[in-house]
Amino acid sequence: MALIKVENLTKIYNTTAVPVKALNNVSVEFEKGEFTAIVGPSGSGKTTFLNMIGGLDKPSEGQIIVDGVKLADLKGSKLVEYRLHHIGFVFQAYNLIPVFSALENVEFIMLLQGVPKKERQQRARELLEAVGLGDRLNNRPGQLSGGQQQRVAVARALASRPEFVLADEPTANLDSKSADDLLDLMENLNQKYNMTFIFSTHDARVIKRARRVVTLRDGAVVNDQTSN
Amino acid sequence: MILALAWKNIWRNKTRSLIVILAIAFGLWGGLLSGGLMVAMGNSMVNSAIDRDLGHIQIHHPRYDENKDIRRFVPNTPLVLQKLKTVDGISDITTRSRFLGIASSATSSFPVQITGIYPDQEKKVTRLFERIKQGTYFKSKRKNAILIGEKLAHRLNLRLHSKLVLGFEGLQGELINVACRVEGIYKTESSQFDEMNVYLPAEFLFKSLASQPVFHEIAIRLNDASLLPSQTEQIKRLFPDLKVESWKERSPETAFIADLMILYTYFFLVFIFFAVLFGITNTMLMSVVDRVRELGMLMAIGMKKNLVFGMILLESLLLSLTGGLVGIVIGGLTLKLTNHSGINLSIFKASLESFGSSSILYPTLPTEMYLMLTFLIVLIANLAAIMPAIKAIRLEPARAIRTV
Repeated sequence: MALIKVENLTKIYNTTAVPVKALNNVSVEFEKGEFTAIVGPSGSGKTTFLNMIGGLDKPSEGQIIVDGVKLADLKGSKLVEYRLHHIGFVFQAYNLIPVFSALENVEFIMLLQGVPKKERQQRARELLEAVGLGDRLNNRPGQLSGGQQQRVAVARALASRPEFVLADEPTANLDSKSADDLLDLMENLNQKYNMTFIFSTHDARVIKRARRVVTLRDGAVVNDQTSN
Repeated sequence: MILALAWKNIWRNKTRSLIVILAIAFGLWGGLLSGGLMVAMGNSMVNSAIDRDLGHIQIHHPRYDENKDIRRFVPNTPLVLQKLKTVDGISDITTRSRFLGIASSATSSFPVQITGIYPDQEKKVTRLFERIKQGTYFKSKRKNAILIGEKLAHRLNLRLHSKLVLGFEGLQGELINVACRVEGIYKTESSQFDEMNVYLPAEFLFKSLASQPVFHEIAIRLNDASLLPSQTEQIKRLFPDLKVESWKERSPETAFIADLMILYTYFFLVFIFFAVLFGITNTMLMSVVDRVRELGMLMAIGMKKNLVFGMILLESLLLSLTGGLVGIVIGGLTLKLTNHSGINLSIFKASLESFGSSSILYPTLPTEMYLMLTFLIVLIANLAAIMPAIKAIRLEPARAIRTV
């Protein structure tokens, strides 16, 4: 059974005078352990698509089933709880808590999950060591480079032990060296822990590294290619 | 960790937070000092009234106050005094003969309250002897010596050793006139009191009345003023046929003004806090607006709305409590210092004295007011946070994350 099943997903925004169809009847499935890039030009619906499967936005039509659970059935705090325990998020602008250290940033999500202090501190330390920031535990985001901040964000995404990680243009703000390092890290985690990564990008170098590439254009899937 | 986050969030924008903290602190400081002064004024009026004339408890003929008739004296005073000796907690007692009359000088006349006292006994209950500005407190051997207030001296154009004639109705309804010599001129905090009260030795008064001693007023001073209600009740039970009153009952206007001062202080502080409320709300709103993307991220990764709401509330609370604590500490210290040294408001002497208050005030506040203040700070902090917190939880995570 697919980890994520997207069926006939349509999203129409009515915020402007003319309704905008951001996603148009998208159907796609993702298996456990995939390393998939959602690609397409700006405005193609990549972010909307990730928001939908991340439970951050509601579809106008169609449905998303994650590990047998229909996201539409989860309301209010249940949906928040679901995101907390099942999905890891990595954002384009890192979005770390600036007043917290790297360790505290990773720890915080486990606090929300109710993980005991000792355990969450140990896990946060291990994760930061795994992303190569063992010597930067007590540095605040402002004291870290963009690449390092995004590594903290990846560690945070993994800290909640999610079923999959959604990354919205994770390398967009990074230089090529940092982008490569981050991709190495994500690939490594994917292979080592069979962690599912779904990330949006329009960076050709990133696309090359993905094992599956789903291409969106004008809100519709125009290509879905898996490499060996 | 949420507490640590809230605390750290406050200090993201140090200038903004410091401004609010200082606004709360100085608002509170000003409020405490003004309140302390108002309460001090109330206390001064109460203490002045007690020390000047009232004592803590007074006993009268039940109908004495109808017209202060000379014939409405306390019956069988020796027995009353004997019974009072059985009451614990009484420091001293003075007996007074007191009725209305007319004081006349060579130039003018004025209605006065004539009080015959035993000077040494009176000294133990009231502090009139400390208020002598000219002359002495019955030190001369002159039997017809009289003490008058400074205001009356001005009104009747009297000086030390001037002659003053008192006219009053005798016990049999006859008109009596006695000539006295001004032995001393006193000045209390109340110019109104000074204008209408004259004191002379009780023996001289009784001789003029050609009667046995008659006492219209028994004034009692307690060892511990805080026991006033229970002591008054005890004495009331002892003399059911006499009018026994605490100073609060005897002079309700003084008690009312003292209570009013505390009430004013509460109102004053509430108004200050009301102004501060908008300051905190503004700061918290700006703080939320500055963190839209971060709040969106927190809600996206799984922070529940009630926790976000609580975090904003906690930030407001920490901000307000910090300001409140600083305000209470500097306000409390200022009160402690000024309570020791006093604040000299002699430039307002005339108006303060017309209220019966001393012009040197010793600011103080009741302890329960500090507890009330803490409660007010918590309340204001929560009220101030409601709107920003609602704004925060209404953010849509997907949109908020992409806010620049």
